[in-house]
Amino acid sequence: MTQRRSHAVGTGLFIVLGFAALAYLATQTTSLVNVSQGASYTLKARFTNVGQLKNRAPVKLAGVRIGSVQSIQLEPAKLDALVTMSIDKRYNQIPEDSSASVLTSGLLGDQYIGIQPGGSPNSLKNGDELILTQSAVQLEDLIGKFMVNGSSGDSKKK
Amino acid sequence: MSETAKRRNILLDGLEQIGDAGLFLPTLIAAIPRSMRYFRETVRQLWFVGAMSLIIIMTCGLFVGMVLSLQLYHVLEIFGGTASTGTVVALAVYRELGPVITALLFAGRAGTSMTAEIGLMRATDQLSAMEMMAVDPIAFVVTPRFLAGVIAMPLLCCVFAAMAIFGGHLVGVTWLGIDNGTFWSNMTSNVDVWKDVVDGVLWKGLAFGAVVTLISVHQGYTTPPTSEGVANATTRTVVASSIAILALDFVLTAFMM
Amino acid sequence: MTEANDSSGSEANNNSMVRARGLKTSFGSRVIFDGLDMDIPRGKITAIMGPSGTGKTTLLKHITGQLKPDSGELLVDGKNVTQLNREGLYDLREEIGYLFQNSALLTDYDVYENVAFPLRQHTRLPEVLVRNIVLTKLQAVGLRGAAKLMPAELSGGMARRVALARAIVFDPMLILYDEPFVGLDPIALNQVLLLIRTLNQTLGITSVLVAHELAAIQQVADHVMLVANGKVVAAGDPRSIADDGSPWTRQFFGGESDGPVPFHYPAADYAAELGLGEGA
Repeated sequence: MTQRRSHAVGTGLFIVLGFAALAYLATQTTSLVNVSQGASYTLKARFTNVGQLKNRAPVKLAGVRIGSVQSIQLEPAKLDALVTMSIDKRYNQIPEDSSASVLTSGLLGDQYIGIQPGGSPNSLKNGDELILTQSAVQLEDLIGKFMVNGSSGDSKKK
Repeated sequence: MSETAKRRNILLDGLEQIGDAGLFLPTLIAAIPRSMRYFRETVRQLWFVGAMSLIIIMTCGLFVGMVLSLQLYHVLEIFGGTASTGTVVALAVYRELGPVITALLFAGRAGTSMTAEIGLMRATDQLSAMEMMAVDPIAFVVTPRFLAGVIAMPLLCCVFAAMAIFGGHLVGVTWLGIDNGTFWSNMTSNVDVWKDVVDGVLWKGLAFGAVVTLISVHQGYTTPPTSEGVANATTRTVVASSIAILALDFVLTAFMM
Repeated sequence: MTEANDSSGSEANNNSMVRARGLKTSFGSRVIFDGLDMDIPRGKITAIMGPSGTGKTTLLKHITGQLKPDSGELLVDGKNVTQLNREGLYDLREEIGYLFQNSALLTDYDVYENVAFPLRQHTRLPEVLVRNIVLTKLQAVGLRGAAKLMPAELSGGMARRVALARAIVFDPMLILYDEPFVGLDPIALNQVLLLIRTLNQTLGITSVLVAHELAAIQQVADHVMLVANGKVVAAGDPRSIADDGSPWTRQFFGGESDGPVPFHYPAADYAAELGLGEGA
């Protein structure tokens, strides 16, 4: 009987451990970790090009994550991308005249939205839009420009 | 006998085994209501195939995560993308390596012991003895093992994946010096709960668990009652399970893409 | 039930625990039983003997319904085994004890749990009662002290006695012994013999023995049947059956190597196979 009970206890422990591992995987290593971050407010920004920006990409201020991208939509009238971001309630003192840009972490890293704070005493509120934006730098364009300049420079030398 | 056995087409033999195992599945599932009386037996088997496999699964998960992290770091370093190490470790483990390696280890550890155990029960008349005591050997011996395998595999996959992440973090952050915050934020913004954790770890784990245990109990139950028969059945369990896991993995991946 | 009444009245039915009429079985092309008729009397010890490979174990499996004959009628305690469904068979089997040739103890459980196994599966008795029944049965086979041992720790004779205790745990009406004496030393053999007789006499259990040991059978059996060639070829008292004059009994009990059971497996003509037939 005691042997039987220890089996049952061990099996119970195994099942608990398995589900704990599942819960850990699901909540700590996936995008769920960002969704479940308490109260937040939304800000909007328009970009002429968002590049490879994806839903749930981080929004950073001074390198610190303050929220995530909620949705990216094409604005049919103006033909630019409207990005909705949800920002943590704790960071509710972002100056009105701050600017947003689509940046890349490292050469191959993912794209995120970086916010450069302005100097206005007034803060952005829920649903406000960041007027100053800078679109994603297209790596292809950069390389293209560099190649053209480089080759023309070479030909001048000759 | 051996002459004719040799002459039999291997392909035909394989097809026969697959068909036979396939027909075994409905029998097995039909016995689930009856095997509920032997719930304790299912718990006992869960202990043997699940809890007793934990150590090997955890150790292997840890090392797989560590080696992945080490390899990926040095490859990604070339492109300046070491921040993605955690992401790639997580995706590789959740989508492929976790379920596949866990299933292969499971087949080697739990599958073979199921086959040998049931085969030996057949060889020593224990299954007939149960029938004589009016206890259905399918409901008492086979179905509890099958259920235990199906329940245990997804859980073991989760444990494996969690250990792999831990191992990857250990090498990537503690040893190679990737920033802790970068490691996690990169991972969390690229790993999806449904596509990666549920589809990958859970569903694949469940499917592999069902296939491996079906093969194991079927091989055991149909073992010729000799010591040679048990040995051959055990070998066949490993071979057939390994092929089935990798083939099924491709099919499932193609479906989930 | 109705079939039994149709064929030969209820009198024979009452006296025989097992009654077979026209039993036919074959495995592939090999014919095992070819119209076997048999009556096993109630409350007696009946021994079934016969050369190896005549299907004695198959006959026991027919009685328990583990194997179905191709055709024929088989009544056990008045129930037609060939027509019972799964539940009917399982109900019948709770009334039958079966002693396997290799004991077939469940290796996962100790001796106590092995004997308690049928009780735990089919009843919800309180543990005290289970314990009493199990210890009584173990005491009957003289192994109460071995209750905590695992099957792997038992000798062959002890394992068989434990299997016997397990077979009688429900006080069955019929016990089938498949080769109970094989591989036992003389002491263990006598212990098993004594148990078979005691169980029959004290509990009135009908016993069917499949065995080769004539000396042992003469000590214990009331009735002997010799099965060969798919039929019962001789039946009678164990002390006189050897002298009934049939060539089968003469060969079997006399231990002659050649007779109705040929020494040579059927083969083509010897001379022809050696290539001498045509040349000569």
